[in-house]
Amino acid sequence: MFNPHEVISTRTRQALGAVAILGVLAVWSALAGLDIVSQAKLPAPWEVASALGNLAMPNDKGESLLFAATWASLQRVVLAGVLVVVTGVPLGVLMGASPRINALLSPLVDPFRSAPIVAVLPILVMWLGIGELMKTTFLWAGAVVFLVPMVRDAIQAVPRTYYVKAKDLGASDFEAIWHSVFPMAKPRIADAMITAVSVEWTYITVAEYVNAKVGLGQLIQNARRFSAMDQVFAGIFVIIVLALITYQSMVAIKRWRYPWETE
Amino acid sequence: MSVRVELKDIVQEYPSADGEGIVRVVDGVNLVYDKPGIHMLLGPSGCGKSTVLKLMGGVRPDGVVSPSSGEVLIDGKPCDGPHDDAVMVFQQYANFPHLSAYDNVAFPFKLKLWKNRVPAGERDARIKEVLTAVGLGDKLHHRPSQLSGGQNQRLALAQALVLRPRILLMDEPFGALDAQTRAEMQDLLVDLWREQQCLIVFVTHDITEALLLGDRVTILSTKPARVAREFDITEPRPRSDLWLRSTEANRLESEILDLLKEGNVRGGGQVRVTI
Repeated sequence: MFNPHEVISTRTRQALGAVAILGVLAVWSALAGLDIVSQAKLPAPWEVASALGNLAMPNDKGESLLFAATWASLQRVVLAGVLVVVTGVPLGVLMGASPRINALLSPLVDPFRSAPIVAVLPILVMWLGIGELMKTTFLWAGAVVFLVPMVRDAIQAVPRTYYVKAKDLGASDFEAIWHSVFPMAKPRIADAMITAVSVEWTYITVAEYVNAKVGLGQLIQNARRFSAMDQVFAGIFVIIVLALITYQSMVAIKRWRYPWETE
Repeated sequence: MSVRVELKDIVQEYPSADGEGIVRVVDGVNLVYDKPGIHMLLGPSGCGKSTVLKLMGGVRPDGVVSPSSGEVLIDGKPCDGPHDDAVMVFQQYANFPHLSAYDNVAFPFKLKLWKNRVPAGERDARIKEVLTAVGLGDKLHHRPSQLSGGQNQRLALAQALVLRPRILLMDEPFGALDAQTRAEMQDLLVDLWREQQCLIVFVTHDITEALLLGDRVTILSTKPARVAREFDITEPRPRSDLWLRSTEANRLESEILDLLKEGNVRGGGQVRVTI
């Protein structure tokens, strides 16, 4: 039972996972279905499912609310994600490659890893207004503070021998980083990117609390205002599923691109 | 081919581990290598022989002045950083895990220095030739993780040889290999050297390895390293087990052991004899 290295079959693993999910669903159904907890606080799973169906159906204007919300949130996450990678990876690589640049910039980056980024939102609203610029900036800031230190650590984790070897073979400093250290750090940089995008999914609702006309966060916020708890749960469910799909596909891409990492 | 490596009164000091005071690792080493051959630097582990070798390659430790005093001359010119005449082969062979054997050997050609020096049309033939020479001709597309320890060391050797260096610096390259693989690698090195005669400086703590391979064996005493004595061995290579058991080899071996014991009085370190 307690052996961290025990090998279990895929079947056993899936079965155990299913047990946990079914267990939670059973308790949830019992609590809600038997009215132990009031419907206003805890809608039953089937009510969430039906809310999900209703939201997905086209309304009288022929639009699916859920679809529009998902599409809007997805666009925001992707846009911010691209910005995070484009700015954060080069910065992290520079900091990892040069202790001087790291000493200069780490006081500006590291403290924000534990800063209450959500509390920064009102400031961003004051500075950037309530439009898309503010939302994108918020998502970017929330994720980039995780990405940069992770990328830096990925570069520093590459054994020194590879740098020394490249230098001995006549590489310039830039060549030693670009051709030797950076390629070796790529799998861990990919891990950092996966974390950054996961963080964005957790922040998307916060970003969309303020004046979003459409989006999953707005959908949840709106439903809460009308005490439609089934819709709140439906919105949360969709975000979890989207985050999971993003995560799993990014991990799959990483494994496919860097098969050598685990060899 | 003319080649000359000269170490003049090399001293190397490091700050001691407790941060107070300094430790002298190399103490006034003088060495001259002036013709192609296999030259062994033999000493107990941790005696500073690696430090001496790295100085020849221009690989400097971070954060200290290196050498503390003295001069390294390559072909009469002072050497103060990595230079293109010498290529190092490390014990932790440091092949790139994400590249195939072929691409590992091709790695130096990504660098501007070798791009300019070796025409693009020549590279492919050179890479295949050298991989075949080290016995990896059928493993071009294998990644390091798909190769054994010995094959990885062959690959590291191929990566150095593809540049046809005049000076090859080997830092206990076979130290991590099992006995049989090590013997195979020693034979390979002898063969390769016959084909491509360069100046090899080979660091080892294995007396048998030194006797098998060396045109000259330089004994370093331990902590700090000083040149205790140099022996020339004229027996042609490959040297047989029979020669290793000859009176000449036995006499050399016991002299070397005596020297190392003397040196050891001053501090720890181990040598290996596998005869």
